[in-house]
Amino acid sequence: MKLEKKKQNPEIPTASMADIAFLLIVFFMLTTVISATKGIEHQLPQQDKKTTENIEKEDSVYIKVNADNTFTVDKEAPASIDAVGMLHDYLYPKLSNNWKKPIIIYVNPEAKYESMIAVLDVVKQLEKQLQKEKNIPNLTITIPTQAEAETWGYQ
Amino acid sequence: MKLGKTKTIDAYIPTASMADIAFLLIVFFMITTVFQVDKTVLTLPQSQVRSEVVKGSAFIVVTEGGFIKVSDGKEDTHPIDQSDILSFAVDLMSKNAEQPIVLKVDKNVKWHVVDQILDQLEQAHAKNLQFLTDMKVKQEKFE
Repeated sequence: MKLEKKKQNPEIPTASMADIAFLLIVFFMLTTVISATKGIEHQLPQQDKKTTENIEKEDSVYIKVNADNTFTVDKEAPASIDAVGMLHDYLYPKLSNNWKKPIIIYVNPEAKYESMIAVLDVVKQLEKQLQKEKNIPNLTITIPTQAEAETWGYQ
Repeated sequence: MKLGKTKTIDAYIPTASMADIAFLLIVFFMITTVFQVDKTVLTLPQSQVRSEVVKGSAFIVVTEGGFIKVSDGKEDTHPIDQSDILSFAVDLMSKNAEQPIVLKVDKNVKWHVVDQILDQLEQAHAKNLQFLTDMKVKQEKFE
């Protein structure tokens, strides 16, 4: 007696493909972090004595961030950090005439980090504006450390 | 005249392209996924001027309580003593003199903590620094 062989078509099972794919999607969705990875760039000074020049307070714009949430610029009266926008109006005429004027931001050790960022943000905004208007390179912004401030008598 | 029997069509949802769509989504998430070296949750200060952090940047994290963590940009952040930042920075600079360093500091931290870090970074001849911030939304006055 002859047995009849059932013909089976060869196939790759793909039914579970979508399940695997969705499993991977869930994994990537959970591990993806859309985070705030942006910030303010700052160049640290290089300790090269040949190129380092002593800058007198009078030749620069001297901004002091105080411990009581205020700031002073040059010989002006102290103003609240909340009104830091006015710093732009003070700096703009000075720096548009001479963009090489160094800007020194001295921060009191007891001041909040947030206050320094607020001041630096305004200066950086001005830098961007001047770069657009006058096509200048970066402004000279210095944030002296406590040790440097003591050496240079910037307090 | 009698019309022929109407053909019955089985109702089904086409799933042949399901895998294609799924793989398209996978590719999207694979490209956009960033495995961060630091996941510390803290309140960052806000600024309007912000530029993208360079990939592979080293991280120095300071929490509100003054707790410091560092990462060379490849491994996850680990706690470090404040006095050891200099050796960490020297090691970084010896590998790459242009290594960008990101400072992720809580907005309420006192400046002297950051000042000591900056002092050590300068001693290690670090150049490129970035202060991590959140986006500042302009407040409009409604009068």
